[in-house]
Amino acid sequence: MRKVLAVVGAVALTVAAVAFVGLPVRAGAQAGGTIEVEVRYNGSPVIEDVKVNKDVEVCGKEKKIDKIAVGPNKGLADTLVWVTDAKGPATSKPVALDQKGCEFHPRVLPMPPGEIDILNSDGVLHNIHTFSSLNPTINKAQPKFKKVMKERLEKPEVVRVQCDVHSWMQGWIVVVPNPFFGVTDGRGVTKIENVPPGKHPIEVWHPLLAKQAKEVEVKAGQTVKVAVELKK
Amino acid sequence: MTRGAGATTGGRRSAWLLAALLSLLAAVVATPAGWAATGDANRGRDLYDRRCAPCHGVKGDGNGPAAELLDPRPRDFTTGVFKIRTTSTKAPSDQDLLAVITDGMPGTYMPAWGELSETDRRNVVAYVKTFAPDRFKEAPTPQALPPTVGPSPESVKRGREMFEAIECNKCHGTEGRADGPSRPELKDDWGRPIKPANLTKRWTFRGGPTPQDIAMRLATGVNGTPMPSFIDSVEKPEDIWHLANYVASLGPASPNYATLVTAEAVRGALPGDPNADFWTTIAPENIALVGQVTVDPRNVNPAVDMVAVRAAYNDREIAFHLTWDDATQSTPDPAKHVYADAVSVQFPVTVGAGPERPYFLMGDDAEGVYLLRWENGKGATEATANGPTKITPMTASEVTGTAVFRNGQYRLVLKRARVRKDAPAFAPGVFVPIAFQAWDGGAGETGPKMSLTSWYYLRLEEPQSNRRFVVPPLVALLTVAAMALIVRTARRWTRNA
Repeated sequence: MRKVLAVVGAVALTVAAVAFVGLPVRAGAQAGGTIEVEVRYNGSPVIEDVKVNKDVEVCGKEKKIDKIAVGPNKGLADTLVWVTDAKGPATSKPVALDQKGCEFHPRVLPMPPGEIDILNSDGVLHNIHTFSSLNPTINKAQPKFKKVMKERLEKPEVVRVQCDVHSWMQGWIVVVPNPFFGVTDGRGVTKIENVPPGKHPIEVWHPLLAKQAKEVEVKAGQTVKVAVELKK
Repeated sequence: MTRGAGATTGGRRSAWLLAALLSLLAAVVATPAGWAATGDANRGRDLYDRRCAPCHGVKGDGNGPAAELLDPRPRDFTTGVFKIRTTSTKAPSDQDLLAVITDGMPGTYMPAWGELSETDRRNVVAYVKTFAPDRFKEAPTPQALPPTVGPSPESVKRGREMFEAIECNKCHGTEGRADGPSRPELKDDWGRPIKPANLTKRWTFRGGPTPQDIAMRLATGVNGTPMPSFIDSVEKPEDIWHLANYVASLGPASPNYATLVTAEAVRGALPGDPNADFWTTIAPENIALVGQVTVDPRNVNPAVDMVAVRAAYNDREIAFHLTWDDATQSTPDPAKHVYADAVSVQFPVTVGAGPERPYFLMGDDAEGVYLLRWENGKGATEATANGPTKITPMTASEVTGTAVFRNGQYRLVLKRARVRKDAPAFAPGVFVPIAFQAWDGGAGETGPKMSLTSWYYLRLEEPQSNRRFVVPPLVALLTVAAMALIVRTARRWTRNA
């Protein structure tokens, strides 16, 4: 009996080791390409001024909320780009949405289906209130002593997040079914790496603007640059 | 005698009925959760269309003809989002829906439908569920609560600590009067402004006033509103009960509305300070206020729903101590529809002997009323009125008024001479008609847009004389003397015999 157990254990260990070491190797062996997307917005930035009447020591007395954040060269930040048809193993990177300075960080957070950590770095009461149609909605208090809450979002969709205590706090969690996604930085640029070669439809989405779809041809080992302009 | 005969046969019948009921009860107890899911949606529809659709709409979308006037708005059943549930799943159980239909929703326009038969109510439950069938696919799981902790001073103290730690005050206010800093920002799931619960008025709690109800709301949250679930957000699970006990300690379960205002007779001075200890020695009479809906502009959703009244008088003066909740001490800004908070106490101009009283809504052209008014920023004034838009300030106003505002509550003392020639006089033992009006300027109330009462009566308690300290002991003494006399006489007789 013991021998059998030992053999089973050894086999399991070997399988695990192969899986652990082997998978990234295989992903690399696919020799995918990179999509670099630059998103622009020709309109003017939309910034909401909020006068804060509570928790000023962490939120500040006044807040400037970048509803549409436009950087140099009209680059549009907080924009999600994802390859809609590509299939790949979901990344197991831990996903976290932080509440810091009475704002959601990041404002737009893509994640694979699964677990998400919701952090409260502020040390004041926030509540995580989600609005979704496929995933169950969440409305849970996160008092100052509750630093981390673990939640699950399993179904791909856009989930709006709001804090009712500080109503200017609005964020978006986007559950994406594959690992090929990115969110634009302050210059409006994002890179999606290791995309399998071939023609792929991509989608460009900003919470407050009309989304756009495009087709991109990815070549192994190369970077394909795409420019997209979003409109209202 | 027919009644007696009936009782015999009735007795046998009721025994059968009892047996049937008991077996039914046994069946109910034996059946696991979901036993309530027996309504017939098709039969419920007819009743729904007649009784529910005026507010909730024929399509169940919460857009019935009356919906526009109601705040909170009638539930939109098509979303399947319900405030009151005892389940950990998102949808309420049939029993939860049945309870809301049966008991209504306190503090809203949803009435209690207990007059309908239980079968009818269950049928309506079944029909309401058909508006959002997907939401009810999953079988409801009961929300588990930690073992009950009964109310005790320790529990209330711990509850208060937790109340502060989890910052309930952000919405509900430091003392629970729905005046937290986040109040103006709160919106429901449909984007409409929503008010937090006033925790000192438990009788307005939508899901019931008991610590059990409160603990359940804390555990499940209130769906469709900003109120989140706290079951995983307290330090220890039993804190849910401490919080519930603390919230229950903030106010009575029922307002016990008064029907008469009694002014207490006082020998000394009447303190003008609303926070003076003197006023705490008088029990308040809670007077319910309703929206003014007789003349335009109507106030279908009044902000001030109650004024707690204390009254006292001495040989020279009469004073009224009024307490009412108002979320903000508003600074008038007509451009933003913000006006001064105000209150007034109304009397007939002359207190007659008969039952005739002026029209309750500030009088009319035929007969006017006399008003003791107070307005934030302006102070106390006297006026006469012949209707809500025909108010004439009195030039020689003698009333004094002192108000304090703290944590969502006004306290005010209005004081004037008890006997006057140019205004109603208040004499002990006389029933004087009295009415109240209030305006929450922050809620856009001004002019006829107010909350008010119809006529009540004010009675000045008759001063108690010192005779009560003299007469009863004297009677007792005389009785004892008489008894002693009888005993003595009786003894003498027996001795002589």
